[in-house]
Amino acid sequence: MAESTAIQLKRRQGLVAVVLRRLRGEVPFYLLLLLVSFLLLFPFYWGFITSLKFEKEIFDFTGNLLWVKNPSLANYQTLFKTPRFFIWLRNTMLVSTVTTVLSVIVSIMAGYSIARLKFRGVTAASVIVFVTYLAPKGLLFVPLAQILNDWNLLGGLPALMITYPTFLIPFCTWLLSGYFSNVPVEPEECAMIDGASRIGAIIRVTLPMAWPGILTAAIFSFTLSWNELLYSLAFVRGEENRLLTNGVMSAFARSDIYFWGPLMAASTLASVPVALLYFLFMDRFVGGITAGATKG
Amino acid sequence: MTVTPVAPHEPEPVVYARARKPGIRWATLFHRDESLGYILLAPGFIILALLMAYPFVYAVFLSFTSKRIGGPATFVGWENYTKLASTDLYWKTIWNSIYYTLVALVFKFVGGLGVAVMLNRPFVGQRLAKALLLLPWIIPTVFSTLIWWWLFDPAFSVINEVLVVKWKLLSKPIPFLTDGNTAMASLIMVNVWRGVPFFGISFLAAMQAVPDELLEAARVDGATPWRTFWSITFPLIVPVVGVVALISTIGTLGDFDLPFLLTRGGPNDATTMFAVTAYTLSLSSGLIGLGAAVSMTMFPLLAILVVVSLLQVRQRQGVS
Repeated sequence: MAESTAIQLKRRQGLVAVVLRRLRGEVPFYLLLLLVSFLLLFPFYWGFITSLKFEKEIFDFTGNLLWVKNPSLANYQTLFKTPRFFIWLRNTMLVSTVTTVLSVIVSIMAGYSIARLKFRGVTAASVIVFVTYLAPKGLLFVPLAQILNDWNLLGGLPALMITYPTFLIPFCTWLLSGYFSNVPVEPEECAMIDGASRIGAIIRVTLPMAWPGILTAAIFSFTLSWNELLYSLAFVRGEENRLLTNGVMSAFARSDIYFWGPLMAASTLASVPVALLYFLFMDRFVGGITAGATKG
Repeated sequence: MTVTPVAPHEPEPVVYARARKPGIRWATLFHRDESLGYILLAPGFIILALLMAYPFVYAVFLSFTSKRIGGPATFVGWENYTKLASTDLYWKTIWNSIYYTLVALVFKFVGGLGVAVMLNRPFVGQRLAKALLLLPWIIPTVFSTLIWWWLFDPAFSVINEVLVVKWKLLSKPIPFLTDGNTAMASLIMVNVWRGVPFFGISFLAAMQAVPDELLEAARVDGATPWRTFWSITFPLIVPVVGVVALISTIGTLGDFDLPFLLTRGGPNDATTMFAVTAYTLSLSSGLIGLGAAVSMTMFPLLAILVVVSLLQVRQRQGVS
């Protein structure tokens, strides 16, 4: 009895030694991983702890830099008390939602068409989608401002609702055509044989099977709209029409006085939902990016 | 799945039944590939035609006019371009954009490869590490750039505080955004910070698609990990690496958010780039013709990059 526990103990010690030896080999790797993570993540941490500091502590570098002495939510309160904060939030939500819904619907149609239908010019269509996807926003905003002006749309939120789809549709179409080409064709054919019309079969059979792709496209679209800066600066006029991005900056970064507390609070608040969405759907995100990188 | 059995010699029976009914020919329209294809493409392509193709043609036109905000568009030929070519601003814009794009690309490429190699092994917490390391790419640029703005603060930069006061590595603080050279370096640094995760995760996905047998065979033949990487893994991931690099290059060349938020192109136009110069000229100064000409200067460069990426993508599709 005693002997066997001794053996067991020895065995266990052996195991511990093996694990330790293995871990020791891993030490340089984990150190490197830690260093890389620190470089990539420190800005977020710094922004976050700044958002929890009082004005005085923000500019006080004595003591432990990685800690907050008197954490408070005062900056968040300042942010919420900004006269138009909730109007900007509503504008951002409105523009992001409208453009996402519009772009995803249009892209489902175009993506399905490119992935599943055989007709003359389908290759040209996919090339056009890819080329428009690559066109940077910096190329077209000057004439777009002029055109919106001609159409009497410059200045208000509709200007953004019709221009955001120009970068969302190519992206979503590209993403979704990739998804549709991986969804099996047979169920749709069976539904049609059972008497469904083609459109009915697409809506009731194929779309439900493609929902992960559609969800990914919607999340990406929403994030891209949420993140947009150039068009919202160039095409919108007036305090009432600002989005969160330029609204927050105009309120807390006036010429030479920067209110870092509320600015960092805004950065933290705006980043959290995006980060959460992304953590929930990470595999799809990564799949989406790499599909983007490997497919056309 | 329940499927009604159908005799194999009877293709698409319902279709014919429907098509034969008089008065609902449009049902055929929504059924046949040749018509449904165009119908489904139409909404998207109409939007793209109105808001991308038309603006593009309009931009070319505007770049040949003396258009100002509220003024008429008078045709002036190449005058905008010759006028721009005689200014320092124009050449600085072109040089800065190319410099920023290329230097950042090299660092993103090397950094991305490094991250991918680092993560391409089983270890505890791999999933979490992948998720966290992608954050710089996933968090909205505007807000992450705001944080960098604060990190680069001329008087209260925590980076300077640590390097100069705490660790005494430097004798005086780095003028991150206030000196021309360091401002460009700072912009590149933020761009690299944002891009490395994207490059890394894309490269990692490509590496994980490399067949294990090949790596095993190399190991059996006695190849060192270094040799295996450069002779087997790298050539196999080159197509993905190429497309990622091209897409990133195109985006960086047209970048607006970073230079606009951090420096507005300053100090002394040291960091101005295509989109920022076009914005300042056309929207801040009202010189729409000149602004359009600046944007259009970017076009030949973009066109070459787009064609190369297209060829790359199509070649891949042909192979697979």
